[in-house]
Amino acid sequence: MSSVIEINAVERTFRDFWLRPTVKAVKGVSFKVEKGEVFGLLGPNGSGKSTTIKMLLGLLSPSKGGVKLFGFDPRALAARRKVGYLPELSYLHPFLTARETLLYYAGLCDLPRAEAKKRAQELLKMVGLEKEASRPVSGFSKGMARRVALAASLIGRPELLILDEPTSGLDPVSTKEVKTLIKALQKKGMTILMTSHLLADAEDVCDRVVILNHGEVAAEGEISQLGSSLEEFFLSKVGNADDFVLADFLA
Amino acid sequence: MPMTSFWQIFSLEFKGLWRTKTLAILLIAALVWMLTADKVVSGDGTIEGAKEMYLKFSLGGVFAITLIASVFAATASIAKERAEKRLQLTMVRPVRYSIIAIAKTAAITFAGFMVLAFATAIAVLRVDTSDICYHVVSPILESPRAEAERMYRSYMEDPNTPEYIKRAKKSLVVRILTQRALDHFETIDSGETGKWKFSIPSSYGAKDIAAQIRFTNLYDMRSSVFGVFTLGDRSGSVSNITQSILSVKLSGSDESFSGEHELKFENRGSAAVMLRNRKDVHLLIPADARFYNLIRSLIQLTSILSFVVALSMFLGASLSRPVATFVAILMLLITEMSPSVIEQYPDELETKLVDRVGLYMTRLAEKVTRPLSSLNPLEALSRGECVEFSDTLEASAVNFILVPSIFALLSALALAAKKEP
Repeated sequence: MSSVIEINAVERTFRDFWLRPTVKAVKGVSFKVEKGEVFGLLGPNGSGKSTTIKMLLGLLSPSKGGVKLFGFDPRALAARRKVGYLPELSYLHPFLTARETLLYYAGLCDLPRAEAKKRAQELLKMVGLEKEASRPVSGFSKGMARRVALAASLIGRPELLILDEPTSGLDPVSTKEVKTLIKALQKKGMTILMTSHLLADAEDVCDRVVILNHGEVAAEGEISQLGSSLEEFFLSKVGNADDFVLADFLA
Repeated sequence: MPMTSFWQIFSLEFKGLWRTKTLAILLIAALVWMLTADKVVSGDGTIEGAKEMYLKFSLGGVFAITLIASVFAATASIAKERAEKRLQLTMVRPVRYSIIAIAKTAAITFAGFMVLAFATAIAVLRVDTSDICYHVVSPILESPRAEAERMYRSYMEDPNTPEYIKRAKKSLVVRILTQRALDHFETIDSGETGKWKFSIPSSYGAKDIAAQIRFTNLYDMRSSVFGVFTLGDRSGSVSNITQSILSVKLSGSDESFSGEHELKFENRGSAAVMLRNRKDVHLLIPADARFYNLIRSLIQLTSILSFVVALSMFLGASLSRPVATFVAILMLLITEMSPSVIEQYPDELETKLVDRVGLYMTRLAEKVTRPLSSLNPLEALSRGECVEFSDTLEASAVNFILVPSIFALLSALALAAKKEP
């Protein structure tokens, strides 16, 4: 059986208007994510995490190499049907209410109307926004908007959940709840790929991690087999990176 | 199922227009203009003239506002969502990119339709729309191009034709002659008879029939016309000294008829009558009430809107928002202005290279956009001419289905190629 995510020697070069190469954001990255895993994609700013995620979602095409989701091209409808995505910022439509936001994405995932309503209600309850369901999201705090976006990523019952900085903007209590939720979703058989700059978060929930640095895989391994704390391991791999914001990692 | 995605995106776009007050502002603007247009523009003093001016300028004004607002909304729709990264959350769902473009096009077109329908409803309440509109039948003539080609051949064979004309490029001479053929005058001297052949479609079920002469010269009027029109066993007299448009009822038979017939005009006045065969002589056959024509006009205007929105959506998918809006507005201006530029600047002015290049580009733009600009039914409708069902059907098929589908596919390609800012 094929892996849920298969990235093979992927490169991505950005070009200017005249098609001259400007930045090589990803250089020959390869890794696989198996069903039921919580996989961490870690690295300092500018390491190629976001570009890799965009290629996984079909939002960018690789310049070289191949990306497969469930054995399909990420742009194929069959692949997109199985994926839920939480971006780094929430990007919600400000004129919709929380419930309407969930129903909109449920409709895009082809959920029947009655099931969509039921699912939206469940998810609103799960993220603690049941009472705020009819309020336009433009009036929500960053944390509340984040919770709506998280619920929206789960509305289509995805088999693979891609979380870009899932705890960004959340208070400590909500952060803990999200981590508990990730583990609960894993128990239900969901595969999760997450990025985080908070190594403690990754250490708490990830089974395996890949550390990217300057667009290349600096290290890959299971958390349990690192032999040291993730923080120490990380610093040993990318500690000299000038653009690495140490304060963020140690926060 | 694509329909579910379609309705979701359609509904999102429409809610956006409603909740950001864009649609409400347009509806209020339409209401204000429809209630005040007759105070701003005035007709020739007659009730019919006032009605003509009101319908032309009130609905025309609302259409112009709606068109421009729709261009802004359509170019912003995809481009703004992409710039604000909201679009990626739709694009990672199992939705075809063409569905995104077509649903957004449909939503903005529907919002525009609401504004136009609101304005049409006000027009129906404000003017009498029970009067009858007329099918307008033009004489059977060779095409202006064919006439120009014939004239060109005779010029070339004529030994008196100046050498510089014989040496000139054929396409240039034929174009000038084509322009002249459109305005080709026929002079009917006193005591003489002018004749024109008409083909009357059987679908018109013609019983009542009228001959119409238009004097579309600089001052829109003629000093005197006296004579008799004859069409088969029907005839009607004309005696006029002031009006620029004469409609003469032809009476004599109650039988309905169709097919080819010859209209004759015997000039019994003392002065010659000059008429442009292609523009000034028509037969009028009663159609249905103006109300139904207003409805068909509404559909036709909405179809133009659909075309423009689909094009703007494609521009928004391909370019950034400000560039897309600029290009779309520029294209609208060219569509609107190119026919009058071509009419006002004759070829004689094409002596400078810059004039020649400018006119060449304007002609090209006019040629490309003619199918769209010629669709606007308001001018004919305000004159009491019928908005033909076949024209409405054709405009609907092309502009509601064909054009948006093509632009949706192009938008999908643009979205796939330009996914991230």
